[in-house]
Amino acid sequence: MTAPQDPRSLAWTIGAAIVVVLYVILLLGVESQLEIAGLLAAGIAAVAVAARFGVVARLGRFLGERDGLLNALVVAGTLAVTAFFHGDAFVLLLVATVIIYFIACLGLNLQFGYSGVLNFAGAAFFGIGCYTAAVMTVHTAVPHLLILFAGGAMAAAIGSILILPVLRTYSHYSAVITIAFGLLFKIFLEVNDALGGPQGLRVKGMNVLGWKFNSNIDIGGIEVSFYVNYIVLGLVLLALAFTFVRRVERSWIGLNLDAVRLDETAAACFGLNITRWKITAFTLGNFLIGLAGALFAMMLGFIAPTNFTFGDSLILVSIVLLGGIGNPWGLVVATAILIVVPEKLQAIQEYRFLLFAAMVILILLFRPEGLLPRSLRTYFPGWRAK
Amino acid sequence: MFFKAIKHAGFALAAVLALGLGLNPAPADAKTKVKVGFIGPLTGGTSSNGLGGRNSADLAVKLRNADKKAKYEYEMVVQDDECKPNIGVQAATKFGASKDIIAAATHYCSAVAISTVDVYHKFGLPVIVWGAVLPEITYGNDYKEIHRVNGTMINQNETAATFMRGLGYNTWAIIHDTTDYGKGHDKYFTQYVEKAGGKILGRFGVTSDQQDFSAELTKIKSLNPQVLYFGGLTPIGVRIRAQMDKLGVNALFQGTSGIVSDTFIQGSGPLAEGVLAFREGAPTEKLPGGKFFLEQYGKHKYAEPPEAYGAFAFAAMTLILDTIEKVGPDRKKVRDTLNKVAGKNAADSITGKISFDDHGQNTIALITKYVAQDGKWVIWEDSEYASGKRKLKGK
Amino acid sequence: MDVGLLGQYVMNGLMLGMMYALVAVGFTLFFGVMDIINFAHGDVLTVGAFAALATILGLAGIGVDSPWIQLAGATLVAVTTMAALGAVIARTLVLPLKGAPPLNTLLITLMLGTALHEGVRLFYPQGANPQRFPSLLPTDAYSFGHFTLRIDSLLVLTTGLLLIVGIHLLINRTKLGLAIRAVAQDEDTAKTMGINYTLIVLATFAIGSGLAAFAGVLHGLYYSEVNFAMGLLLGVIGFSAAIVGGLGNIYGAILGGFLFSALQTIGVLAMPFASAYKDVFAFAVVILIMAWRPTGLISEKISQRV
Repeated sequence: MTAPQDPRSLAWTIGAAIVVVLYVILLLGVESQLEIAGLLAAGIAAVAVAARFGVVARLGRFLGERDGLLNALVVAGTLAVTAFFHGDAFVLLLVATVIIYFIACLGLNLQFGYSGVLNFAGAAFFGIGCYTAAVMTVHTAVPHLLILFAGGAMAAAIGSILILPVLRTYSHYSAVITIAFGLLFKIFLEVNDALGGPQGLRVKGMNVLGWKFNSNIDIGGIEVSFYVNYIVLGLVLLALAFTFVRRVERSWIGLNLDAVRLDETAAACFGLNITRWKITAFTLGNFLIGLAGALFAMMLGFIAPTNFTFGDSLILVSIVLLGGIGNPWGLVVATAILIVVPEKLQAIQEYRFLLFAAMVILILLFRPEGLLPRSLRTYFPGWRAK
Repeated sequence: MFFKAIKHAGFALAAVLALGLGLNPAPADAKTKVKVGFIGPLTGGTSSNGLGGRNSADLAVKLRNADKKAKYEYEMVVQDDECKPNIGVQAATKFGASKDIIAAATHYCSAVAISTVDVYHKFGLPVIVWGAVLPEITYGNDYKEIHRVNGTMINQNETAATFMRGLGYNTWAIIHDTTDYGKGHDKYFTQYVEKAGGKILGRFGVTSDQQDFSAELTKIKSLNPQVLYFGGLTPIGVRIRAQMDKLGVNALFQGTSGIVSDTFIQGSGPLAEGVLAFREGAPTEKLPGGKFFLEQYGKHKYAEPPEAYGAFAFAAMTLILDTIEKVGPDRKKVRDTLNKVAGKNAADSITGKISFDDHGQNTIALITKYVAQDGKWVIWEDSEYASGKRKLKGK
Repeated sequence: MDVGLLGQYVMNGLMLGMMYALVAVGFTLFFGVMDIINFAHGDVLTVGAFAALATILGLAGIGVDSPWIQLAGATLVAVTTMAALGAVIARTLVLPLKGAPPLNTLLITLMLGTALHEGVRLFYPQGANPQRFPSLLPTDAYSFGHFTLRIDSLLVLTTGLLLIVGIHLLINRTKLGLAIRAVAQDEDTAKTMGINYTLIVLATFAIGSGLAAFAGVLHGLYYSEVNFAMGLLLGVIGFSAAIVGGLGNIYGAILGGFLFSALQTIGVLAMPFASAYKDVFAFAVVILIMAWRPTGLISEKISQRV
């Protein structure tokens, strides 16, 4: 990074990161519903105030030019939260869930954020990863790390059956294909006896070279919850996936994908192979979703068809949309909001689908570009769109 | 601009306060607070059983808290499993992961209970199952955490088979849901009815949220059985009963403990008349402590009736509270003490003596036979069908 | 297989096909005038069925016992309120997003659908549980071998078929229908001819949603039960039917509806060992048809600007 160094901004940024981490710890730690509601409101107010004074924009710009720093801060922040709650299994489960959903949404983002291929069967591909993991952990002796990738590969392979119909159709018509597939997948699981039917399947926990992920760890007399294993592994996979997605976005591949999304006809006129890029995005996206699914299944230990309904696919799409289509950073915020808030604020748990739906409707009407819209490409460090 | 921001913050604060008042913080108390859990289906088609169980468990906690001699102040945390395995696993994980929950009374739906046993074992949370009847929940594992106060479906189906053969029925068609619950019923009923000389003409697995059964029922119609045995829960039971009528399937409808609920009768209306079902344990009003339980239940004015398994939920929760009183709020100690509830140490409860075997299974020998008569589940022996005043279908 | 049994299968298939067709016609009307997919359509059907149920219970509560009056009142309330709801949806959610990418309209209606059925689940008394829908029609039955014909099923089927014929006449023989067809064909030209575009869009949404409500009532009468999730699968099937038939074409929708139910019935007959797979089979065939004819069996005329 050749951006001009600015030690004062750096200090401010790190300060802001520490404040955010402390806030997250506080939010995850408190139990009383009143305090949670208060904290959430305070958080929203703080962001609103900061936005008024241009702090958010300045931070965003500063970090926008320093991806490496932002990545390091997020990883460090997650580890700090994890270390703080090392024994509190429930909080750690939430953190791990957010990480895994984030990976899946990165895949979805690759599909319709970049290349514009609609996918309303996100939960189905997630489910393919889960079921692959379930079958392989129980019936084969394949090393578990490989199973993760097998989950992704399986999702990509089954997804490739849909490629032909998706390519031949456009917009609404291709949406219906993924919707039909999502429903078909869930019904298939329910009526299929070999894969557990509506009862679901047990999944064995991760086991890498004798290191059992599903038992608690004891470090110098401090008992550490086993979810820490999954958080660490999830972070590693996330880092890989994230770096990969960012690289793709910035490379000529990303440029091609953007061109395909924005105007298929024009892109074709300039000699881009539309078919090739759509297949690439769809397959890579499904791979990431399936990978996330496999890890999720191993962490949870149990999966059933009702995990993968059309409603769940819609939640995945909502996350991408709320975050700002095409902006991987927006996904962090959106995933955290959609997963953590209803878990912590029990009062709204019951109403969460209604609230999500209302939220997405409002966003579409008034801020269709999402909470954190994707910024314009910067071709040169320090260059800003005026 | 600044003022506008302040105004925004003000609104937010006001909203928080408004929300806070509605949430009602708990009052301070001298006794140590101990949390116990309850899981059951509170929404969905089987919710009447879940709500009845929750109220009954809640009654146990309330009665204990009203008792001045109790060492602790108890709080019951409630989770909804929606009768779906994955939701149940999430709820169980939440309980298991929250260290302050000491023990829990869990699950009406067998499909959910069988999926969660691993979770309880993993987190070392002692539980007492209050309504699920699948044998494997206790017998399919060696987990010390799992106990059950109600009986299993084995005896239920044995009684059902011999009773039905005794009435003179010879041919059956089976519809069962494809969860472990429905499959279990299919397996045990087939086993006992064939031993008793009955004949199964055909069996059909259906999913637990299926809407249209015309395909299955049309085929059953061509098989022309005397009895349609249904191994599943209330929601699809209601649908199948209604569609049998639409398609003119003229067989007797025989259910399991899964349809012994007021919801089935309300949902089926006049079509419920003459439907048979079987359940383990004596009817609530005939239990040793049944009168006391129903009296207290009535006094607390719950919105929903206790339903068939309310007494078991009450007994399970009472046993948990007794154990915590004895050994203190410690998961391991509670677990070990519960495992010793047997023989000499058998516990008294409103359902009679509770005595766990090696697998934590309570022994319930009695099976009650029910028939729907005039919009109520009536015990067979007291019904007009038994006295010969009315006749079952096909008689 | 004997004739009676075959007759029973045909009857089952016709009944389902009629309901799918009614839902599909709504989808195709919306697509015709606005080029959008209204995914809330299935849930409008659910809300309509619950509105009808509430009216029946309300009428019974104030002492109106005649099943015919109850039914007429319920149908009237359900159809009018849902027609109004349809117009409101068009006004507040669909028209404002007219210039936006199709994905946004798709999503906003999907989310509205979620909001509608969640609303029923949370705010209708005991809404999470299946509700019993009273049988208001005479239940006399006639048996011909393995074929049982019930008067109520026959009435439901006839009404549904008449409704489909009625909508066909409305679109092809009336002035309103002419205006709708004109807008569907070319919005700008229609406007220059003095057609009130907004009004026609609202009217189309009202008609489509009213039809959905009617289908909801028929569904309730046939299955004797309504639940908050019933619209989801019906909506998707209706939508698939409309797509398979070719969006924007009313005959396509009707054809698609009956085709889908035929596929399900054939699925049952052809694979008796696996009747549970009938929906998997039907959706798989839909995907195949889409791969073979990307814009449906009766194709939409498309002209893509370059």
